[in-house]
Amino acid sequence: MDAPILSARDVVVKFSLRGQILTAIRGASLDLYEGETLAIVGESGSGKSVFTKTFIGMLDANGWVDSGSIMFEGKDLAKFKTEREWLTIRGKKIAMVFQDPMTALNPLRTVGMQIQEVLELHQGLKGEQAKKRAIEILDEVGISDPAMRYSQYPHEFSGGMRQRVVIAIAIACNPRILICDEPTTALDVTIQAQILELIRRLQKRLGLTIVYITHDLGVVANVADRVAVMYAGDIIEYGTVEEIFYDPRHPYTWALLSSLPQLGRKGSPLYSIKGTPPNLFTEIKGDAYAPRNPYALKIDFVKRPPFFKVTPTHYAKTWLLDPRAPKVEPPEIIQAMRAKYRVSERDA
Amino acid sequence: MLRYALRRLWQSFVTVFIVITLVFLLMRLLPVEGYFAESYDKLTPEQKEAILKSIGVLDPWYVQLRRFYSDLLHGDLGTSIVYRPKVPVREILAPKIPYSVAFGLSAIAISLVLGLGMGVWQARDKGRFWDKVWTGYIVFINAVPSAVYLLFIQLYVTQITKLPILFDRDRPISWILPIISMSLGGIAGYAMWMRRFMVDELNKDYIRLARAKGMSSTAIMIKHVLRNAFVPMAQYLPTSVLLTISGSIYIESLYSIPGMGGLLVDAIQRQDNPLVQTLVLIYSTLGILGLFLGDILMAIFDPRIKLERRGGSR
Repeated sequence: MDAPILSARDVVVKFSLRGQILTAIRGASLDLYEGETLAIVGESGSGKSVFTKTFIGMLDANGWVDSGSIMFEGKDLAKFKTEREWLTIRGKKIAMVFQDPMTALNPLRTVGMQIQEVLELHQGLKGEQAKKRAIEILDEVGISDPAMRYSQYPHEFSGGMRQRVVIAIAIACNPRILICDEPTTALDVTIQAQILELIRRLQKRLGLTIVYITHDLGVVANVADRVAVMYAGDIIEYGTVEEIFYDPRHPYTWALLSSLPQLGRKGSPLYSIKGTPPNLFTEIKGDAYAPRNPYALKIDFVKRPPFFKVTPTHYAKTWLLDPRAPKVEPPEIIQAMRAKYRVSERDA
Repeated sequence: MLRYALRRLWQSFVTVFIVITLVFLLMRLLPVEGYFAESYDKLTPEQKEAILKSIGVLDPWYVQLRRFYSDLLHGDLGTSIVYRPKVPVREILAPKIPYSVAFGLSAIAISLVLGLGMGVWQARDKGRFWDKVWTGYIVFINAVPSAVYLLFIQLYVTQITKLPILFDRDRPISWILPIISMSLGGIAGYAMWMRRFMVDELNKDYIRLARAKGMSSTAIMIKHVLRNAFVPMAQYLPTSVLLTISGSIYIESLYSIPGMGGLLVDAIQRQDNPLVQTLVLIYSTLGILGLFLGDILMAIFDPRIKLERRGGSR
């Protein structure tokens, strides 16, 4: 694989909250490769959004990158301090699409103006030229009658259409990386499929690198090339979508996949992970998942596991992969999936 | 837009009509002794009867009401009964209005510039030093009865600065303190609302998108926040402007400014019905006109307000 387009190493993000320090990201590392689609999954509060927000310097005012590096185009984004520095990246090189399109647009400005704003800001287009380009972009994201739509206000658009506009704003400057923070969560299923299809099409045409943040594993299976699993502010496993779905190695990933409703299995109660995520105000010793982990080893409570290599593309942070660890069989559901995968691999 | 404006104008007119009618009828419920003031004991019943008849309060209420409307339509505001007997209300008000308007307008200009500016400053520096200082000022102005600090200003600031303690038409320097006194409340009010509306806007999702677009904080403030925060402000501004120029009761009496402010209280206490009715007409018209203008401004600024269709959800 080529050199990564963006490379985050041991990123630590802290927030100060009512006089206490909270560690939201605990040394997460991630590589992003040109043209790929990476999905970051994990439960609410696992730090998916916070982690990606550090890529464009949009942490809330009480948060900061404490240590680590985020290399992008030869610059370390983790060292960026001033707004001026971020303005060279934000919206221009790395763009973001947010969850709720109903509130993401300024209700008092026309949709056209809101797209034009980006063009004028980053591409130096002016007046008529910018307007023409804005209409083209509206057309590109699949809005019919773009010239008329240009001068309409957000409240005259439906949810799906507004998300198209938000995407239009994001791609207006041909960014290299597009971060989609739960872009379809607020939309119904048919619209969701349309939006995912639109993003896929734009990715192909513009050569975008896309990061999806989601807890919808259905979406992940649909769109992602690679998956990174986050838990308690750390990336605990990553690999290709096949590797994660059919051959997961981290007990948390097992639990996550086991809690998916299985088609055709009736009657048995849905699996749920016992316990709650750890308190981020206190320092976590060992593996953050250990207290909830039925497979936890003694060492899990003492020492934090490093990444163990499964394949050149698949890594997981669990002591179970250490050669000295006892052999552990994953839960039934995971075994069944693994078997299915092996069969299909042999057939292929 | 025009249809909306006309409809709102008509509603405003009806409201003013209801207000003055109600006040007219309520005034008629008061005992009649007030009409004679100190001379009550000295008059014979026949004399009292004659006076009441000459004022017209012995007619049935509907006759009085009809006469009131017809006079009003002809621009006749009636004559004062007690305040300055037999003098037309118009003549009493005419010299007072310019003072109230002049003081009010100066105070409004100062309050608007300083108040809105302060609000923007506070929203930008939210939670930091200057925000806290100005919030302290706002809380002080709103919490302490104005009589207290206004009196304090008159007593001590005049001593320190040697500014005149009373208003004198021919000395421009004597305008300064009353205008400052009048502005203090306005500044606090505008700053408080401006800060509040801007902070509201700053927390909205579209600001996050604007940041993600790569706009600078200054550009976001000017292009997005300020304009959007101005919409709720726009509704509130005209009323406050109009009510300020109609005079401040307390400050006008404190500095003995011959304005309109104290007149209403005086007129009610002395039961000078025609004067009360005229003042109520003026104040309610100004207030309702303010609401009307606020709605129109809001409709101009906010495209979401649908003007053509009636009904539906609000």
